[in-house]
This record gives sequence, structure tokens and C-alpha cells, in this order.
Amino acid sequence: MLRTTTSQRFKNGLIPRNISSRRFLASRPDFYDLTSDTATEVTDDMFDIMRSASRKDDVFGNDPSVNELEHHLGLRSLLTQPPHSVLCDAQSHINLYECGGLAYHSQASVTAVASTNGVYLTAEDVDTNRVLEDVHNASTKVIALENTLNGTIMPMKEMQNIHSLARKNNIKLHLDGARIWNASQATGISLEEYGQLFDTVSVCVSKGIGAPIGSLLVGSNDLVKKARHLRKLMGGGWRQAGLLAKIAQHCIGTVVPTMPETHRLTKKLASGLEQLGIRILLPVDTNMVFIETTPMDMKELANALKERNILISSDDSSVTRLVLHHQIDENAVDKIVQVASDLINTKGYIFSRSSSKTSNVDVSKAYPSIQH
Amino acid sequence: MSPVIDNTAREHVHDLTSDTATIPTDEMFDIMKTATRGDDVFGADDDVNDLEVFMANMLGHEASLFCASGTQSNQIGLRTLLTQPPHSVLCDARAHIFVHECGGLSYHSQASVTPVIPKKGLYLTAEDVEANINKDTLTGAVTRVVALENTMNGTIMPFEEIKRIRAVCDKHGLYLHLDGARLWNASAATGVSMSEYGKLFDSISVCLSKGAGAPIGSIIASTKDRIRHARHLRKLMGGGWRQAGFLAKIARHCIETAVPTMPETHKLASRLATHLQSLGIRLALPCETNMLFLDFAPAGLTAEDFAVELRKKNIKITATSGSTISRVVLHYQVTAEVIEQFMDVATNIVKSHGKPVTTAMETDVKENGNTTNSSIESLGAAYPSGKN
Repeated sequence: MLRTTTSQRFKNGLIPRNISSRRFLASRPDFYDLTSDTATEVTDDMFDIMRSASRKDDVFGNDPSVNELEHHLGLRSLLTQPPHSVLCDAQSHINLYECGGLAYHSQASVTAVASTNGVYLTAEDVDTNRVLEDVHNASTKVIALENTLNGTIMPMKEMQNIHSLARKNNIKLHLDGARIWNASQATGISLEEYGQLFDTVSVCVSKGIGAPIGSLLVGSNDLVKKARHLRKLMGGGWRQAGLLAKIAQHCIGTVVPTMPETHRLTKKLASGLEQLGIRILLPVDTNMVFIETTPMDMKELANALKERNILISSDDSSVTRLVLHHQIDENAVDKIVQVASDLINTKGYIFSRSSSKTSNVDVSKAYPSIQH
Repeated sequence: MSPVIDNTAREHVHDLTSDTATIPTDEMFDIMKTATRGDDVFGADDDVNDLEVFMANMLGHEASLFCASGTQSNQIGLRTLLTQPPHSVLCDARAHIFVHECGGLSYHSQASVTPVIPKKGLYLTAEDVEANINKDTLTGAVTRVVALENTMNGTIMPFEEIKRIRAVCDKHGLYLHLDGARLWNASAATGVSMSEYGKLFDSISVCLSKGAGAPIGSIIASTKDRIRHARHLRKLMGGGWRQAGFLAKIARHCIETAVPTMPETHKLASRLATHLQSLGIRLALPCETNMLFLDFAPAGLTAEDFAVELRKKNIKITATSGSTISRVVLHYQVTAEVIEQFMDVATNIVKSHGKPVTTAMETDVKENGNTTNSSIESLGAAYPSGKN
């Protein structure tokens, strides 16, 4: 198995047991995990911040730290009664990586649309594919968008067009904004401007933001109240969660402003790899680079990087995803390009420049998975 | 252990509404720093994995899964046993899985429920179970799982009875699940080990965030295959958390430090119970572990009367408006001093406000069914609710 477990990394001395209290882990031996921005490391000083959190019971909504941070909602709260369906991008997280949750939690059918331009859904895509009211049908009741999706940004204009279309047809709108922070930092559009287009918004704090655990669902008071009940039904009624809320709030405040720099480094990485002949599969808008390495063996690249303490996802395919976050520095980026360059030169790989970018590239293989 | 500080309040309030009120102490955050920081979605965190192995061994099972709550661990455990409708779960009519888990059995497993009122009072017997098994494969939702709860309302299901129910399940080809949220208390009180209990069940849920003292978490234990499935189910329920190592580490710490103090907690509960009874207050249920179900009516008082006076001493109890009953729950962070104060307040309030009564030493959960019915129905107001 290429991905070493945390325990192996400890044993190899790659991660010291007592990590430095500094938020930036510069004192560690150079170790970088680019498999995902969920890999953002918890630092010692985070526990000191957690210690200052309130310690009440969140099942009863008694905890001030959690109450300040949270508004909870869900797709379930927008979907009232079957027959009904959700329209979303075929590559979206809610379609591919949530264990069939739409069917399970809401008994909803899914209209998974492959975007025409290969990057984001347009209003035309949505209009063409939405399911109309008919006795045979599970009509579209919710349009769910994802921004960023595979690190790419959905343009505001397009979101507004889809919003108009939805309203005209009495359809609700949900945003999987797990990485909306990145979109916002890249475009300059505020979270509020994005949020106003949607009935419910989900934002994640455990990815690029760097908190250990958590995600938030935002919406109206009534929906939030309903969502809290749904959350308990799903076993999410946790007790003294103040410490989690407090650290999340801290991370949002301190990490979000570092995203432009992360994006700059990501672009630098993409550019460096592209110059070597490696194909970049999707626009590099924020903190992700999807690469296709043929004829270079992906596993070879991963191994070479591992020797330099850099972890990337890899499997038998030639596609992978590199994800940056605030704990990945310029040093790591330069190293990756260097290692790739050395490998290409050593092995004499020749990259075909004539292949055009295909739309609808299947990047699902690029995601880290539990089987690897 | 370090002193209990509720760091956002000016004065610490002793919360006796539930043992979920156990709060993290300052020193716990230093312990959290020593935890591993891997991603539990991929099962890549050592401290979480260690906790799961530790608990599986303790409960006599192959594997276990660290969940966010008792509701989650119960519903997941039951889901792994409930493969295909039509099917139903047989349980006590008061069971948490039926009454306080948001209809989870229907939702997560499309299972019907056969809620049984125990004939003899406190706990389900093998006879109760056998009399209520549904075998109707034509029009019924056949019983697939029998689910027990120990402790329930702080009372203990005798080990012998559990064994008899296990035999009934084996005879009829049924699974047996335990909601052992407070199994620690039963074990501390009876001397039966967690493993001895655990081995009788196909799946077993134990809570870490109640008397055991962790801020968050619960465990479901079963076979390797079921736990593998359980992990998938947990993700489906949105329980796939990332760097949860520190939660696992602190849970382990709490198990090792708080659980051994349970006998002491039980002694305090018993002491409080005896004193209150001497004042004429009735116990609606026997005080066998860390809970008291108090009925203030014989003393001519309401729960609110008590709550108001106790609040002056920074002691909080459940007091539903207009009710004369209240559930009082002790845990390791409720000290002997707090109990002394409670007893003093009780003595004073009964003397000054209550009507004089003769001592009522016996509880009145009788052998016949009628009293039990009314006992079960009338306890709802004793519980804390989201409305408080």
C-alpha cells in the first residue's frame, strides 16, 4: 500500500509525537501531505484554544460557543415528500461520495448531469435536464451546486442564472460550499453574496480551514430548527462540542486570509508541472491541480516524492489530484516540480503535446480512497 | 483529577439533570495534545484505532466503532442486524432506542417496533419477550432483534435474566442488542464484568459521554464484518469525522479515571435517596445506581419548589412546570459536598413548606401490572427536555 498510515509515519520519525505548538509546522522534518486539504494538521496550540471554550451540552443547544457558530440545515430539510429528485453535477460530492445519502435520507432520485463544458454546470445544462412535473416523474425539487468543484470556481453569473431559473420554476437551491472559502478568496465575492442565492448552504471547516472536525449548514431559523432535530436522528447530537466550535471559529479567522497565497502556490505548481509536459486536466482556480502523467508512471512519481517526504495520491491510473492548503509551503511546491523533472529526465519520458483537453474527464479516480 | 471548572460561568453550577453533564476539565486539553492526528474517515488515526480495539476487547467482541453519540451507535448497531423489511425490533416500551432517538428505527432500518411493558415492573423478562415475538410472515413485521437496555432509568437488569432472554433469542433465531449506554454503572454495581455482559449480545452500544465522562462519543461493538459495515453506515449518517484522535484519547483517559469512581457515586446516590425518603419523599423507582426518580407529592411539594431552592446553592435539577416528579442523576463530578448541600436544602424546604408525613421507606413499584403501567406513563415529566 502506497499511502503509509499515520502510525507508520510516526515510527519512521516523519512526524514527531509532540508536534510543535506553532501553527505552521516549520520545525518538523519536511513532511507534506497533498492527498487532500482534510489533511490539515491539528497543532498543540489548538488545544489551548479549545480549553477556553464553553463546556455545555449541545444536544440541548445550551452551548454558547456552538450557538455562535452554527446554523444547521440540510438537503433533507428542503425535500418534503417523495416523489422528488435532486439535480446536481455528475461529479458532485453529494452524488458520488456520500454513500447514497440522497436516496437514503430523503428517498430522492438523483439527476446527475455531466456539465457540457466539463467544468461547471450552466443554466442551460440545468434547464435541459430538470425533471418536470408529471405522473411518471420524480420532479426536480432541489438544484444542488458545488463551489468549488474539483477546485474549480463556478462563475457568479452562472450561479445567478441558475438561481433565476430555479425561482421561476419553484425549485429550491442548495450549495455544497465545502470549499466556498477558496472561491470567495479567489473571486473577491463575499460569502454573503454567494449565500444569498441559496436556500441552504453547507460549508466545511475541516478542510482547508484546518479545524479537526466539522461542517456547518446555514439557512433560515425554521429550517435550522428542523435540521437540529434531523441531526439528532442521524446520531449527530454531540454533547460538549464547544471545544470543536471554538477551534473552528479560530481557524476560520486565521486561516482564510492565507488562502490567496495557497492559490498562488497552486498555480505555481501547476505551471511548473505543465512546463515539464504533464497535462493539467482542469482549470487551476484555487487549491487543486488535477494532473495526467502518461507516459510517466504515477506510482513512480509518488514513490520518488515519498522519498522526499511528500505524499500524493496514486493508484494504477495515470490521473491524480494534488491539493494544497496553508500548511504546504513554497519549498514543497519547488520540490515536487524538481522531483518530477528529475524523474522525467532520468527515465527519458516524452510527453505528447498534441492531445487536446477532453471535456468530462473522469477525475473520480484521482480521489484518495480507502481501498488504496 | 483537576477541579471542575465551567469556564464561561461566574460560578460553577452542579448539574444534576443528567450524567451527560460531565464536562471536560482543564487538564484534559493537555492530554488531548498528546493524541495522534490522523484522519479517521480512512481509519488512519492510531488513538481512535486504539480506543476501538480497547473497547472491543473490554466488551468481548471482535471490533468496535467510535461514534458521535449513543443514538448513532445504537441505530448503527441495530441497522447492521436488520437486513431486510418486513422486520421489527422488540424492546421495553420505555427504551431510549424507541422513545428518544427521533424514530430512528423506522427511519434508518424501516423497522417496526414492538414496545413491551414489562409485566413485573422494572425490566423485561424472558416471558415478556417470548410472549411478544412476532412470527407472522404473511401480514406481520416479524421480530428480528430483541433490544435490551441496562441500566434503564438507573435500574439494573439482572444478569440471570439477560441470560434467559439470550436463550429465548437463540431458540427463536433472533438477534440480541444491548443499549448499554450506562452499562458501566451496572457493572460497577453488580460486579459482572463488561465482557461477561458483552458476550451475551450480538451488538452492544456503550456511551462514553455520560458517567464515563468524555465530552463526546459512544461505542458500538460487534463482529468484524458488522463493524466494517457500521463504519460505512456511520459515513452515510454524516459521522465520518476527520482528526478525532483527541476525542478518542480523552475518552480512554476518562474511562480509566472516571469509571472506577462509580461505586462512590452510587453510594452518594443511595445516601441521598435514604435521606430524602426519611423526609417523606417517595422514590418512584428503586435507586440502584446513579439515578433517583423523586416524587415530591407525598411531601406536599412540586419539583419546582425544590429546583428553586436548590438553584440558590448552584444545584440544578429537572423541574417540569407543574410536575411533582424529577429525575436526579449523579456522576463523578458531583461531590459529597454537593450531596450534603442537597440534603440540607431538602431538609429545610420540607420543614418549612411541606406537609408533615410519615416515613415512606418502601418504593411502591408493586408486583401487579397496574401500578407499573402508571409508573411508566407518569415518569415523562421527570426527564430534562429541550424546552428547558
